[in-house]
Amino acid sequence: MAGPGPGAGSDSGSGADPRTGAGSDTGAFHATTRVRRTPTSDLSVAEAAALRRVGLSPVGFVMGSAVMQLASMMTGNVYGGMAIRGGIGWGGFLSSARARGSYVESYPCAHFGLVTNAEHYGFNAENTVLAASLFEGYRLALSRLQDETLGLGAHGVVGVKLSFEHMVGAAGTATFLATGTAVLHPESAPLASPFLTNASGQNFERLIGLGYVAAGLAMGVGVVYVQPNCLARGDLTAVGPNSQIPAAVGIARGRARQWLASTAQSMGEGVVHTEWSDRRFIRYGESWNQLALAVGTAVRRYKTEVEPLVPRAVVPLRP
Amino acid sequence: MTHATSPGTSTGASRVPDVGLALEALRVPFHPGAQVAFLSDLSVGELILLEEIGYRPVEIVSGAGSASWCPQFTTAGTEAQMWGRAIASAIAEARAGIHSEVSQRGADGVVAMRLELEREPANQLTCTMLGTAVRDERRSGRTRPSAREPFTTTLSARDFHMLARAGYSAVGIVIGVSVVGFSARSASQSLGLARDNVELEGQTTALYSAREQAMGMMEQEAGSLGADGVVAVELAERPVNTMLTHAVELMAIGTAVRRGPKGHKSLDPQLQLAMDDPAPEVFTSG
Repeated sequence: MAGPGPGAGSDSGSGADPRTGAGSDTGAFHATTRVRRTPTSDLSVAEAAALRRVGLSPVGFVMGSAVMQLASMMTGNVYGGMAIRGGIGWGGFLSSARARGSYVESYPCAHFGLVTNAEHYGFNAENTVLAASLFEGYRLALSRLQDETLGLGAHGVVGVKLSFEHMVGAAGTATFLATGTAVLHPESAPLASPFLTNASGQNFERLIGLGYVAAGLAMGVGVVYVQPNCLARGDLTAVGPNSQIPAAVGIARGRARQWLASTAQSMGEGVVHTEWSDRRFIRYGESWNQLALAVGTAVRRYKTEVEPLVPRAVVPLRP
Repeated sequence: MTHATSPGTSTGASRVPDVGLALEALRVPFHPGAQVAFLSDLSVGELILLEEIGYRPVEIVSGAGSASWCPQFTTAGTEAQMWGRAIASAIAEARAGIHSEVSQRGADGVVAMRLELEREPANQLTCTMLGTAVRDERRSGRTRPSAREPFTTTLSARDFHMLARAGYSAVGIVIGVSVVGFSARSASQSLGLARDNVELEGQTTALYSAREQAMGMMEQEAGSLGADGVVAVELAERPVNTMLTHAVELMAIGTAVRRGPKGHKSLDPQLQLAMDDPAPEVFTSG
């Protein structure tokens, strides 16, 4: 991890003008020298109106980002080395991964042993290292988003959009980006830690109406490295159903779900608005990292007696 | 159209919730329970629509299936059965996987399920499904007709809400797959030298028979589940043209529905001129 962490900047904002962010010393990551005189936001008019109805007003468009060198336990070099060493090398790798207690499953060649193992031997191995570096990238981006929000004296961020992609830097790096609109409730004292939600303004209003408040973003990542065997790589001489890819997808998604639930547990009773993405990430030849990413809003109940929100059937007259 | 506000339609000042009270709740330390109560990929608006018809979210569930086939040497005018079965088995395995996750959690089904197909390499199909498992809270005391098997549907929460209010229930997604080969074009046609404007009858016929067989398979599956019909049918067609393979691959996927004992109930929708622009996402499909 390069540079000061989010903890270094999180005590910023003290002594600064909370409305402008002027004078805060949050480090090199934010546009801290920019004096904010005009509120900015990426809300639509309808979203802003919905927030206004619950008493929140937008104070600024906020961003948190981090460019990371991704760590992975299987890089191209390691893979090449394993390929040269063939089955023996994999055997050693698989047994050491098993000894660490992470998910590993081997899928031997389906060609009755007629073909050498080195070509078609397959395995799935959980890539906890890559999962941890993705989680860390998101965590950094979100904590910087939170810092910027604190600097504005706002209570939370609505409509958080999270992404990671290659924006800056070369292959093997990833840019984690979190953006959203900081909102303020003028009658309330500042929160020590502003809430974050990926819900839109309208859905935030509905959430408040239901007696829940957005407590923060919950996150989960699962990665399984897949080296396909002959069935899973689509060999024309060995066709039919394969269990390797479904297992990889299932384990990756299961880990992401577990992680999502455990990060949410300390924040609230449930998770809504989970944005789920599955990708095949960082390929080496035929193999890939099967990635599952989940980000959702942890919600906490603040009121048990609420008026029911009853939807009515309408036909909107639209052009 | 009347613009007057009727008593039931007002969401005005009397209903405005106080966000200050909600923010106060964030100041006090939270005492977590043993585990989170629910996980959902649905929006708040979608959860309200489900709550209204008695469904509550349980957890995000998923299923996956994968199969490969040998695409060579398809015969003109003949169904490539192994190929079609391989695709159908990948989708069926994913469906079985998500069904077992739903059953393990004591849930009744999956609403707004995402169904994704990935083809890599070209002779292989991986089908993944993911969605929020929901439990029918009004079920207590009585069993639904389809209680032994969970339902899955790709219908959005809004569509599912309307379906339930209109007196129908979702039985599950049903699929049909067919792959039919056709003969290659003549040498001059494939080289772009032919000047004549003729129908490629073999290809039209292949498309017809693939579509008929896929729809037939889907309808048969719906019939065996005791459904009254299939809604939101999507056809996915893919031409495959390589040196040795000329075929059309056709998939039909839809949600089988069953009419309730009381038959169709009118939703009696009101005409409304929305001032909201763009529309709130809960009222748009997908």
